[in-house]
Amino acid sequence: MTQTTSSTASTGVSEIDTSSRCALSFLIVASLLWLVTGGVLALLNLVQTHSPGFLADCFLFTHGRLDAMQETALVYGWAGNAGIAVALWLLSRLGGSALRGTNYLVGGTLFWNIGVMIGVCGIAFGDMTSFSLMQMPDYVQPLMLVAYALMAAPGVLAWTGRRNDSTFATQWYAVAALFLFPWFFSAAQVMLLFVPVRGTLQSVISTWYAQNLFSLWMAPLAIAALYYLVPKIRGKVMPNYDFAIYGFWSLIVFGTWMGGRHLIGGPVPAWIPSVALGAGVLVLFHHMIVYLNMSGIGGSGGVVMKFAKYGFYAYLLSGVIDALFSLRSFAVITQFTLFQDAQWQLAFASFSLIIFGALYYLVPRISGAAWPSSGLVRGHYLATLLGYSVLIISLGFAGWQQGTALNDSTISFEAIAAQYRPWLLVASAAQALLLVGNLALLVNFIRILFVRTSEASASQFRQPRNLEASSS
Amino acid sequence: MKNGPLFILGLFFALALSWAGLALGTHAQLGDLQPYYDDLEGKAFPQRAPGIASRGQLVYQDLGCMSCHTQQVRRPSYGADEARGWGSRQSVARDYVHQNRPLLGQNRLGPDLANFGKRAEAAGTTKIDLLVDLYNGSQGMPAYRFLFEEREIVGQTSGNALHGVAPDGYELVPTEHAETLVAYLLSLKQIYEYPEARPYAPDVNQEGAR
Repeated sequence: MTQTTSSTASTGVSEIDTSSRCALSFLIVASLLWLVTGGVLALLNLVQTHSPGFLADCFLFTHGRLDAMQETALVYGWAGNAGIAVALWLLSRLGGSALRGTNYLVGGTLFWNIGVMIGVCGIAFGDMTSFSLMQMPDYVQPLMLVAYALMAAPGVLAWTGRRNDSTFATQWYAVAALFLFPWFFSAAQVMLLFVPVRGTLQSVISTWYAQNLFSLWMAPLAIAALYYLVPKIRGKVMPNYDFAIYGFWSLIVFGTWMGGRHLIGGPVPAWIPSVALGAGVLVLFHHMIVYLNMSGIGGSGGVVMKFAKYGFYAYLLSGVIDALFSLRSFAVITQFTLFQDAQWQLAFASFSLIIFGALYYLVPRISGAAWPSSGLVRGHYLATLLGYSVLIISLGFAGWQQGTALNDSTISFEAIAAQYRPWLLVASAAQALLLVGNLALLVNFIRILFVRTSEASASQFRQPRNLEASSS
Repeated sequence: MKNGPLFILGLFFALALSWAGLALGTHAQLGDLQPYYDDLEGKAFPQRAPGIASRGQLVYQDLGCMSCHTQQVRRPSYGADEARGWGSRQSVARDYVHQNRPLLGQNRLGPDLANFGKRAEAAGTTKIDLLVDLYNGSQGMPAYRFLFEEREIVGQTSGNALHGVAPDGYELVPTEHAETLVAYLLSLKQIYEYPEARPYAPDVNQEGAR
């Protein structure tokens, strides 16, 4: 078992961390519960894809409803809670003072999670909106916005009250994510649900929202963590940091235009997918600069670095694949197939992996104790890495096969389903593996909550490397 | 970067730009799209769906049918949509002007349904056939039995019961959801040839070559 190579300077534990313990633990435990719930729903959903009769008699679990439920649980439940927890911790750390306004945070988190719960149940009873990544029923959406405002308030306080005037890349990404989400969330709510625009303009807004949700919210949250973790753990100055600002703005300015790639050949103005393709290529400038800044990420390291590393690779790959498959000549095969699910899973995996890394870093610091079980850490790491790789690759192959078969009009739908079925069986196994890994993380986290801080000897924090769980 | 307010302003305008471009730009192009009035036929197209079909659309949305079925036909030269008989022309924005919520869909685990009503008409598929398909499942689509009620026959049979499916002494009655869903599916037609529905092909020599 090799120990991690973090430098001592990188891991001071201070009042900043421990003061936010309760509030952040609440967010994290909620996020992990949703991660497991979403994992179960996603597994059921995937099983239905290869065995359509599964749970078909139960009206709560039609394929469409399960799809919307798992997506809601994973995006708003897991990504929302965990992403905000990480962003707030980073902002308070870099702001140089303890997190303020934690009452707002706890209240907001409570209502946010009640909102997601009502949302998921509402979908099960048939109130989904039909807009991808925005499936929660219209009656719960305003609550989500209010709850979000409360949750983000400590982030705003940490940003405005920062000790140091000059800012670091982590803060740009985190603040951008916190600030932009309510902007496009409220705009989409109004234009899609409360004063709906006419006809297929709804589809344009819906893809704009879905793309923003990743490019302007999930991605910045993950990249913020990356900019903090990598130099901290490596203990080195970040190479080419001067360029980071251009990388940031190219994500914000171009990323938001990419939604139209889902509308190729659709009943919308033809310039929308064309602009999306251009934006998809331009946003690679962002990926390139982050790559330059992260050039030290490749080496070996503790479990935090490993998660961050593979998450970052997934992020780069996701950027390239999204740009490539915005081309009409590729999209003619992959559009409307499981390949798109593979693309989404890849993007989602990049977020999850990086945030897992961040959690492994920050949880010992806020709770003042080391991870209780390195076996569970290792199990989670292996299950997650293997699960995501197999899931994405098998969905990708299934989708490619489905797409080529769809373009041959002589092949019936039953024959197509029979062709991709083996891949989906493999994908279901991978999804189950992911679920096992996430359960390991949940168990480990619950155990760390019940470790009495006094027992965890203070000397551990003077040798911070013991805090980093090792994975090999 | 030291200027906080300027930074926030920059973020705001970066997103406002894409919102203006995509939302307002498309709105300027499609916002006042009207049904097309055909003088010869004396009707405007697309025609409004009957009330029962509009209710059926809500059932379609509630059940999440759009996670496996699209309702958008791509142009004949792009993919095999035409060859599969899903539609002889591309779907255009005007096809959806009367729909409160167009359900374009993102995945084709099942066939496209934009012209389902037209196909059913051509194949002579009746409402009863579709209800039986919904009850039994067909071609990989699961059975949606919860859309039906199995009732013991007491006295007279119900007028809309399905025959030959239920065991002896029982009858199978489709719920209102099933009835409206089928009415909706049968109403799906994108048949009118709008001026914008087919791209203009300038090369005369290509005529008939496809």
